[in-house]
Amino acid sequence: MNNLISAFIGALISIMTMLNGTLANKLGNYTANTLIHTVGLFSIIIVLFMRKSKVKFDKSLPIYLYSAGVIGVFTVLFTNLSFAVLGVSIPLALGLLGQSVTSIVIDHFGLLDMQPIKFEKRKFIGLTFIVIGICVMIIF
Amino acid sequence: MFYIAILVSVMTGVSIVLARTINANLAKTIGLFSGTFFNFITGLLTSLIFIFFSKESLNMTNLDFSSVPIWAYLGGLVGVIVIVLSNHITPKISAFYLTLLIFIGQLFVGIIIDYFTLGELSIGKIFGGILVLFGLTYNLLLDKKKAV
Repeated sequence: MNNLISAFIGALISIMTMLNGTLANKLGNYTANTLIHTVGLFSIIIVLFMRKSKVKFDKSLPIYLYSAGVIGVFTVLFTNLSFAVLGVSIPLALGLLGQSVTSIVIDHFGLLDMQPIKFEKRKFIGLTFIVIGICVMIIF
Repeated sequence: MFYIAILVSVMTGVSIVLARTINANLAKTIGLFSGTFFNFITGLLTSLIFIFFSKESLNMTNLDFSSVPIWAYLGGLVGVIVIVLSNHITPKISAFYLTLLIFIGQLFVGIIIDYFTLGELSIGKIFGGILVLFGLTYNLLLDKKKAV
């Protein structure tokens, strides 16, 4: 059951990419982005309401911890732009490459308050397979 | 445009990991759902700034919102469902299987969507996707071994 839910989460992410991409194609990338965030904001307010939980705000936290929403805007803009040109599956594979390399860099240098985990050279093997896979997806 | 889209796709991955890491640090203190609330607040403000400085704000009145099928407006809702489900499932399954299964779900539904929207069922995408999956699995196994 847990495995099924996990795969279902992935399915939802691809469906979301298609929905957001369709909206951006029709209304423009920035208008779509604003609407997507408005609908998302209402949805999370409903979730908070259903869980009867109050919004917590901690002033002592560094301001950059609240900045992920700003980065999220770029995620949506980038995804919609790539969807228009490349569809869903190829940007997914390329995004996975970006995720892998970024995780490795954050871990290696211990950025963003993470515990440093030194880079293991064998990870080049995995990255190479990802790159070859992407090339196969694009060319064939 | 093709090469820009390739670069932008990779940058999507960079932005996802940056946001995910920052969000995890925020959620540790104020909880995931409060964190998500602030994500959408700051995200919405940023989107409004973008729209203000873009050409799209000039054409706003000409937009035909009814020409868009209603389901296309629900991406933000689906995003929140993804967050709620992930929060529910994370303590019940190892990060290794979670990451792999999410990717498998994304890949196969992605290929199906591409079949319907781009009108092509490409063997290359399936085979290439399996190679990507293999590379991902290999590196996740290295992480897993270290975590034990």
